[in-house]
Amino acid sequence: MKFSINRTQFIKTLNDVQRAISAKTTIPILTGLKLVLSQEGLTLTGSDADISIEATLATTDEKNQLTVEEPGAIVLPARFFSEIAKKLPEDQMTIAVGDNFQTTIRSGKSEFTINGLDANSYPHLPEIADQNPFSIATDVLKQLIRQTVIAVSNQESRPILTGVHLVLNSGEMLAVATDSHRLAQRKLTVSVPSDVNYDVIIPGKSLIELSRTLADGDETVEIRIAENQVLFKAGNLAFYSRLLEGNYPDTARLIPTSSSTQIEFNAPVLLAAIERASLLSHESRNNVVRLTLNTADNTAIIYGNSPDVGNVEETLQFENLTGEDLEISFNPDYMKDALRSFGQTAIMINFTAALRPFTLVPSEDQEHYIQLITPVRTF
Amino acid sequence: MGKIHELSEILSNQIAAGEVIERPASVVKELAENAIDANSTQIDIVIEQAGLQLVQVIDNGDGIEPDDVSTAFKRHATSKITTRQDLFKIQSLGFRGEALASIASVSDLTIETATANSLGTFAHFKGGILQTQKTSPIRPGTAITVRDLFFNTPARLKYVKTFQTELANVIDIVNRLAMSHPQIAFTLTNDDHLLMKTAGNDDLQQTIAGIYGVTMAKQLLSISAEDLDFKLTGYVSLPQLTRASRNYLSIMINGRYIKNYQLNKAIIKGYGSKLMVGRYPVAVLNIQMDPLLIDVNVHPTKQEVRLSKEPALMTLIEKAIYGRLRTENLIPDAVQNLKQTKVVDVDQLQMDLNQITSQRRNATGTVRPVHQTSMPEKTMKTEPTATQIAETETPLKTEPTADPNLNSLPIFEQPRQLAQWDDKYAAESVGNPFGETAEDNEVPIARFPVLHYIGQLHDTFLLAEGEDGFYILDQHAAQERIKYEYYREKIGEVSNDVQNLLVPLVLEYPNSDAIKLQARKELLADVGVQLESFGQNSFVVHSHPTWIAQGQEEATIREMIETVLENGKLDIAHFREATAIMISCKQSIKAHHHLDDAQAKALLADLAQTENPFNCPHGRPVLIHYTQKDLEKMFKRIQDPHQSWSGE
Ligand SMILES: Nc1ncnc2c1ncn2[C@@H]1O[C@H](COP(=O)(O)OP(=O)(O)OP(=O)(O)O)[C@@H](O)[C@H]1O
Ligand SMILES: [Mg+2]
Repeated sequence: MKFSINRTQFIKTLNDVQRAISAKTTIPILTGLKLVLSQEGLTLTGSDADISIEATLATTDEKNQLTVEEPGAIVLPARFFSEIAKKLPEDQMTIAVGDNFQTTIRSGKSEFTINGLDANSYPHLPEIADQNPFSIATDVLKQLIRQTVIAVSNQESRPILTGVHLVLNSGEMLAVATDSHRLAQRKLTVSVPSDVNYDVIIPGKSLIELSRTLADGDETVEIRIAENQVLFKAGNLAFYSRLLEGNYPDTARLIPTSSSTQIEFNAPVLLAAIERASLLSHESRNNVVRLTLNTADNTAIIYGNSPDVGNVEETLQFENLTGEDLEISFNPDYMKDALRSFGQTAIMINFTAALRPFTLVPSEDQEHYIQLITPVRTF
Repeated sequence: MGKIHELSEILSNQIAAGEVIERPASVVKELAENAIDANSTQIDIVIEQAGLQLVQVIDNGDGIEPDDVSTAFKRHATSKITTRQDLFKIQSLGFRGEALASIASVSDLTIETATANSLGTFAHFKGGILQTQKTSPIRPGTAITVRDLFFNTPARLKYVKTFQTELANVIDIVNRLAMSHPQIAFTLTNDDHLLMKTAGNDDLQQTIAGIYGVTMAKQLLSISAEDLDFKLTGYVSLPQLTRASRNYLSIMINGRYIKNYQLNKAIIKGYGSKLMVGRYPVAVLNIQMDPLLIDVNVHPTKQEVRLSKEPALMTLIEKAIYGRLRTENLIPDAVQNLKQTKVVDVDQLQMDLNQITSQRRNATGTVRPVHQTSMPEKTMKTEPTATQIAETETPLKTEPTADPNLNSLPIFEQPRQLAQWDDKYAAESVGNPFGETAEDNEVPIARFPVLHYIGQLHDTFLLAEGEDGFYILDQHAAQERIKYEYYREKIGEVSNDVQNLLVPLVLEYPNSDAIKLQARKELLADVGVQLESFGQNSFVVHSHPTWIAQGQEEATIREMIETVLENGKLDIAHFREATAIMISCKQSIKAHHHLDDAQAKALLADLAQTENPFNCPHGRPVLIHYTQKDLEKMFKRIQDPHQSWSGE
């Protein structure tokens, strides 16, 4: 294998692929980066067995300045190789594989020789047949990920909850995540034939990586789902993730359908107030704030207390308060996460009772996005 | 006139019963073992009131010929051995011919039994006396029903513990019998409640699943090993699946569950440094060996055995486990990493250095801790992290000191550690699974010397003089101890608030634990963990205390449950010790930090106020001591502590 390539272009692609490579993998060859060179282009692959990323630098793309001298394949130690590639002196670099997988990397007057590994011993990426691919706009997918992954659990003892539950049914896509303290749900309409239905659980970690990998330039992401893998394709990039096995809890029945108290806030304003109220709450002792709503007085008061530090009380600024009086306590961190996910919008908070979960939805579009938080029972 | 006379048969049977039949669980054990010896493939055990009211064991084994029935109830009547030689190659679980006679002498017993080609027999004994015997139609097999246990030995009845304790003992024994005989289908029912059921399809893992639950069984690795003398098969847990007690180690030799401290040790050694401090694996090992190599006739309950090639067997076990775990890829998390590695009891570190010289004298033969009273076992249980340390790469004993003899402080020597294990083990084997008898004896406070501050060394160590010699203190360790005790209290003052869960946690426990938990649910409810029964061995948790760190909910609740199972109580302050240790370590002055005299003296004064000024919360020593004698010896002013001061 021998080729030369534009170093900046190469490093850009390498950075994407490297996301999938972990130094801590249990399969030694996966600490490597796989390079496959054909007349069409150079394909880089990185994988940690959970996720795999493949990206191609096409010969036809002028920017790549890719000259293929001899097609072939090699696996190079990712950490060393990427450090080398980043520090080389010239714009152009040449890579040549010699005997025993010894690989020479040359740029200007600098020449490195590193030991590679046989590309044949690199695990094959799953084949995902073309059944029923569908597409989503990149920014919408990234938003969906941002809105749901906050509620994903990090408790490995309940592996199912570490994923986002994705259901595609009659052209409607539902993404749900819950760590069982809070829940986030996003609905989307996707243009697919109505008989294309899916029900899968994608690891939250994979989605976070995917979201980081997706360039804003790419218009749409193509999604393909197979037995235990999902593939996201955008531009020259293919992102594979393992799916979680098991049954996701039935979350539909967890979302209250009616409410007895409703209040409207400007999300950033409420966020700032919650941040203040939680200043005194103590992570490891009692991370709780209390919200008191009084419809007659038309007041909303937030209260935070820490026995050995002191307390804080703030009368909140809000838009609309209707329904019954209520006093409810909750973990301010969940509220903060939820509020941040709304950005600069007005939101409705709907309560049913002091010990029942409450929901947050955008005032404008109450149908498509919902955050749910379970309260704390205080004594 | 002679006062000495022979005891009546019934009386001597009752005396023997005192040894063989200690409690309802012993009845279950003896009857079930007989059923196993009779080649049964199905054994159903039904008890009422934990066996105090009723024990019934029904098998489908060989049965007893009509003519043999009354003989079987005679003392020393057995079909299992005949000659003295037989005693050295016992294949069966029974051999003494004492069990039936003993049980019958202290209860109201009926037996129905039939062999494949004879008429069935029914017999009724009360207090050992045959009441009736007649023919009775019954399919081949034996059913023995024992009622009113200990009715005629009220003293024995007094020693019987609570209902739950006895039940847990029965379950424990049946569990072990079932695990040693996966080819036999067992059921155990208490008060119409099916507590345990095994398939009897000779699949050990499935048998374990029937006992410890599927979740746990799935996390076990199969092991096997063989040499000329031994054949070993079984299952061991991954190092991350551990328990707070050694109760989950089951060793079976030739189908007999035995208790053997050395073999337990071999199992634990097989894990190398992979186990966390104070944690034990789950292991079920079936060992086959030539009966000549094992002497089972050493203890009335036959649970203790003498093995002639014990060291070889230990090596085999250790290697088998070690080798098996090595093939698994173990990625311990950071916290575990911090904690894991070898356990050293604080006793060994206890800086009651007045004892050093005397300990050194009898270092080799020491089996008893010298100052046992200064750190009773009780403390070890409730404060595992403070009283045990994770010894990392540099064992403290390699710390350079002037004298190579002083170097090898006997406090680190194995025999003492072993002695403690022995003690603990002995305590355990008496059978106290609920720990109610663990007295709340006060921890006597070891004397902390009055120290006169001399100065700081390398901005890291404090030097001080005491009445009885010279002291060096580690300033970080000292402050860590002070802060730790402060935070341990503070951190215990948690709020009672509970966070609701959208998706409840489901926790599955082995049947014996589930029974205990049922009885102790209140303890957990008091600290904000409400267990709701959910099926036979499972509990649902709908909310958790808010102080539990995010993401740690299940792990923390499980730990709380284990603490309750182990200690029968839960003290949040002590429970949150790990957090206290972390905070105290972060907040303490490090090495290479200059202290002026006032600061150093304040530190010494605060240290003297602490509960245990001798160790930092990680178990490392806070101070080391050279007695006057030590100093004299180092300067060769005396040769040996045995010799008295020899003058100039
Ligand atoms: N369930 C049974 N099925 C068939 N035979 C039995 C059964 N239970 C007891 N026996 C017969 O009764 C005899 C006496 O039983 P017992 O338990 O008293 O003594 P053992 O089993 O021989 O010795 P050990 O006292 O060590 O248990 C046994 O040797 C056996 O022949
Ligand atoms: Mg017997």
